Amino acid sequence: MQLKKASSPFLKKRIKKLFLPGICSSRMPEDKSKPVKSAGVKVFCFFFSKKKAFLPFATHRVRLLLLLASGSLASAACAQTHRGGVMHFASYQADGTIDPQISYTTDVWQVLSVTQDQLLCFRKAEGAEGTVLVPDLAEALPEIHDGGRTYVFRLRGGVRFSDGREVGVADVVASFRRMFRVSGPNTGSWYGIIVGAQACLAHPAGCMLEGGVAGDAAARTVTIHLTRPDSEFAQKIALPFAAILPADTPAHDLGTTPPAATGPYMVASYDPLRAMVLTRNPYFHQWSEDAQPDGHADRIEIRYGLQTESEVSAIENGALDWMSDPPPLDRLAEIGGHYARLAHIHPMLAYYYLMMNTHLPPFNDVRARQAVAMAVNRRVLANLYGGPALGTPLCHLLPEGLFGSQPYCPYTLNPGDEWHAPDLARARALVAASGTAGMRVTLIASDRDVEHSMGVYLQSVLSDIGYDARLHAISFNIRDPYLSNSNNRVQIGLANWYQDYPAPSDFLNVLFSCAGYHPGSDASYNMSGFCDPAVDARMQDAMAAELTDPAGAARMWASVDHDLTGRAPSTALFQIHWLDLVSPRFGGFTFSPISHMIFSKAWVQ
Amino acid sequence: MLILARLAQMLFVLFGISVLVFLIFFATPGADPAARIAGRSATPEVLAAVRHDFGFDRPMPVQYALMMKRLFVTQDLTSFVNRGQRVVPEIVAGAPVTLSLVVGAAVLWVLGGLAIGITAALTRGGVTDRVLMVAGLVGVSMPVFWVGQMANLLTQSRMHDSLLFSWVPPLGYTPLSEDPVLWFKTLLIPWATLALLYMGLYGRVLRASLIEAYQEDFVRTARAKGLSETRILMHHALRTSLITFVSLFGLDFGALVGGGALLTEVVFSLQGVGKLTFDALQNLDLPVIMACVMYASFFVVAANAAVDVAYALLDPRVRLKRG
Amino acid sequence: MSDGPWAVAWRRLRRDRAAVVSACVLLAIVLGCALAPLYARHVAGSDPFRPNLDGSVVIGGRTLDILQAADNPLHLGSAPIGATWHGAYFLGADGQGRDVAARLLYGGRNSLLIAGAATVVCLALAALVGIVAGYAGGWTDQILSRLLDILWAFPVYLLAISLSVVLISQGLQLGPFTIEADSLLLPIAIIGIVYVPYAARPVRGQVLALAQSEFVLAAQCLGVGSRRILLRDILPNVASTLIVFAPLIMALNLLTESALSFLQIGVQPPAASWGTIIADGQTLIYVRPLVAVAPGVMIVATVLALNVLGDGLRDALDTRAKLRV
Repeated sequence: MQLKKASSPFLKKRIKKLFLPGICSSRMPEDKSKPVKSAGVKVFCFFFSKKKAFLPFATHRVRLLLLLASGSLASAACAQTHRGGVMHFASYQADGTIDPQISYTTDVWQVLSVTQDQLLCFRKAEGAEGTVLVPDLAEALPEIHDGGRTYVFRLRGGVRFSDGREVGVADVVASFRRMFRVSGPNTGSWYGIIVGAQACLAHPAGCMLEGGVAGDAAARTVTIHLTRPDSEFAQKIALPFAAILPADTPAHDLGTTPPAATGPYMVASYDPLRAMVLTRNPYFHQWSEDAQPDGHADRIEIRYGLQTESEVSAIENGALDWMSDPPPLDRLAEIGGHYARLAHIHPMLAYYYLMMNTHLPPFNDVRARQAVAMAVNRRVLANLYGGPALGTPLCHLLPEGLFGSQPYCPYTLNPGDEWHAPDLARARALVAASGTAGMRVTLIASDRDVEHSMGVYLQSVLSDIGYDARLHAISFNIRDPYLSNSNNRVQIGLANWYQDYPAPSDFLNVLFSCAGYHPGSDASYNMSGFCDPAVDARMQDAMAAELTDPAGAARMWASVDHDLTGRAPSTALFQIHWLDLVSPRFGGFTFSPISHMIFSKAWVQ
Repeated sequence: MLILARLAQMLFVLFGISVLVFLIFFATPGADPAARIAGRSATPEVLAAVRHDFGFDRPMPVQYALMMKRLFVTQDLTSFVNRGQRVVPEIVAGAPVTLSLVVGAAVLWVLGGLAIGITAALTRGGVTDRVLMVAGLVGVSMPVFWVGQMANLLTQSRMHDSLLFSWVPPLGYTPLSEDPVLWFKTLLIPWATLALLYMGLYGRVLRASLIEAYQEDFVRTARAKGLSETRILMHHALRTSLITFVSLFGLDFGALVGGGALLTEVVFSLQGVGKLTFDALQNLDLPVIMACVMYASFFVVAANAAVDVAYALLDPRVRLKRG
Repeated sequence: MSDGPWAVAWRRLRRDRAAVVSACVLLAIVLGCALAPLYARHVAGSDPFRPNLDGSVVIGGRTLDILQAADNPLHLGSAPIGATWHGAYFLGADGQGRDVAARLLYGGRNSLLIAGAATVVCLALAALVGIVAGYAGGWTDQILSRLLDILWAFPVYLLAISLSVVLISQGLQLGPFTIEADSLLLPIAIIGIVYVPYAARPVRGQVLALAQSEFVLAAQCLGVGSRRILLRDILPNVASTLIVFAPLIMALNLLTESALSFLQIGVQPPAASWGTIIADGQTLIYVRPLVAVAPGVMIVATVLALNVLGDGLRDALDTRAKLRV
């Protein structure tokens, strides 16, 4: 995912003590479900038991925030007192379509997480607790048979869409088909292992997923067959792409027309130039507080088109309650000082990186790519992004805190675990050795203030190491499609990547596998066009090992990570920490690593 | 006949503009329109569908005709970026914001221009006259976005807590029907900003034509008849002087309603037609750009025509003889 | 030519104090901008095009970081060094740690160059179109006038922004010639074109009037060739109009350039113009407003001087030509 997505690794240690024994031993606390056999959860259990001292970001300040946040959580417990009221949010720009099976942006996912439901979902909770899978429209976590190739779900009864109809087995089956019929951006790469999927990918219009997804209306069960085991399948169907919509939802991009909702809220109106209004779904009743808690506010209005400067002012004086955009740089000082109590900072599994096109000179030469990685001053970039509190230098391609991530930095003075300073001398030597010095290089960066200023700095770095460098700013809205499409012949570009769900494959496999490279397509997230079947095979092995040998899998991912870092199809710049600013009256701030600030947990009275 | 000819000319100009816009965005050498329809997370299949939808696989004139048909006849032209978003209702929704901005500013600058022009003409050659004329020129010489930025700096940040500007609400637009007081408050600073730029120009134009009128025979006759200076000014000189004033106003007003207020709307976060155009340009949202520019030029052309009519009404000597 | 119309005009202009003062102001601004490299090297002592984000500077014996970390409990944000009122960083640094005063001078070069060159383009095109249309009449006039009508009805800023969005994003390829996206030729051409109708329509009107005037008709009756009439009778009259228009058009061009650059579709980084510096300053406006204020003041001073000069020229040349209406 390219936009803001978040995780709170610093919370995990604490959470481990509080919650994980319950999850990892056998039972889900509320649902009395079967023992969890989902691979994803297994990975988490491994993660917390093996990684001992791991609190890379936890400064005193952050801990303090943590205490504040848990304080508000505690007060949120007395839910009834906070029910009602209107929350006013703002966003600089709307994010296009709200079709759950097509949209791939955080802002929309944040809305969808309170309007739509999948069979499973990530628990709506803070920190590591929020990365745990819980049953949503399914009564329990699935029974997994056939060595991980068959998933059986039993559908909950009595859940209704916002148009009053009950959610039935036919809706689930139809939703899986629709995923293919509308050609969602990740359908092929995430759900292509469902039996019958290949036929659907070839001919989306008549997709039936023959033999892949079968429903039994009498037993209220849905059975999904995979062509091979997938350690991450459960996580993938817990995200909005797999939202359950009414069976008669049209099989084309819904655009700005909201689908029928199942969550506590529904989109009452959506005008991408003015506002989105969420109102209560009249047919909603809370079936699982973990999966889909009822909301506090009666109405949520998200206003579009304000400048971020105005958004900050409005939040500070209480006219707005929250903004989805990062606050502008020149307001950070006042936020960190006078308004510190309104700020919430969370480290995320996300980073900024430079993609380098491995098919075009000069970056088809690995030495040229390494030179760039060696020359960038990652601290300066983090400062341009907002200072050390919002960015930590990062050299390798798995963010710190993710399963399989091992500290590693070859691109610094005194190489070792950490980045210290750029090494211009070695960078220039590498450029000279590659024979690419003096070449014309055009850097693509978006026109967003922060990214544009990073672009200006990076252009000077490219000049410094001997290129004839230019900067070409493009609209933020078309940044990723533009960088993705090989027809645009982008040499080097500034991009960022946010986890969809916490797994190493969501970074390495998506960004650097042969399967992620689609020449001529706008949705080709392997922007560098890096393709090495040997690396692909190792990633497949690592994913397979997650099911059987998590410790081995972690080692395998680390080795793939370090190898890719060395070959530098992209170079990571810094890991992102997310800053949320809320109004003085805002309560119940809960930050989930998956869906960000949880709308339904927030209250204003 | 004259009106028919005028109408035909208007239509011709509008047609010319639509062709020009189409050429700029679809036929610039090296530009591939399909490559620009890069809405968020659009798959190759979706892109192919959109391409076919807009007829990008067909010859230019057909593409043009299709675009125009969807814009004017079926009115179902939708945005590339926010799929499903119809373009025409967007413009209809943005128009009141732009109108509120421009009408308010126009009231301010016309009153200001009249005051400046008359005062300067009466104190001709004196200190007041000079100060007013220099101030007027300064107004004309400022970039509007910069003035807006400075106004925001003062009213939203530096002096927001002072008594002078504490009433200024955060940027944005509140519809008149929703809260008239807030509507007025949010628009006052943008009005002042826009008016500041035009006031001086209008004052200068009025002063010049007043002074010219004073030298005409009919004013001398009036003086000889012993009429009071005020009466001469109000009834004789001002009336003829208003001709240039009105024609200038018509053109400026048309251009501003049509989107000339783009920079002002952007700086003050007003979701009018100008901001709509600006956002569309940023995203290269071609259907929206097309529609916005057509709308804008319609106002300019209409204003031109209105000015001609006003000319004829105000000055019987002129009979629709312009350009 | 001692007492020709031009000499009379020159004498009148010299006696116009406002015009003389504004000419001097303009000269000072142009000179200052021309000397930008000297200022950058000897006074500012830093490269105004190179980000300087982890450096420091010695001011009055104290070493100061150019990018200063914010002193707040959350360690959020940072601000570039403010105005030092010393040689280095006289007006402080921008978000990239570059010397604003030096960039202001370099930016002025680009702004003035673009506005000046675009004025030449605009007036040349306007003179060509206006004279051809006005003198040839008939179908030629019809076609050219209708084209001018179309351009005239196209709101100036919309046209300029539309052209810039298309051209600045990918450059222009015309057969064998390629103009790079960051070439200054693009803004010059774009800004040069959009104001053509402003000047061409009055020129056409003037030529039309002249062509039907008694002395031209008389000359034609006497069998004087049309080339001679154009050169001897029409051009000098048109020239005085163009001279009056030049500063006024240049003022408009400067404002347009600053608007385009402010919207990031004019001068491309790392090059600067006054508009781009205002855009840079926008992201700093709460902490370092001077970065946005200074280039604005420069624009206002220059445009004001141009407008006053234009007024002076009109009075001196005694033409009634008006740029607008």
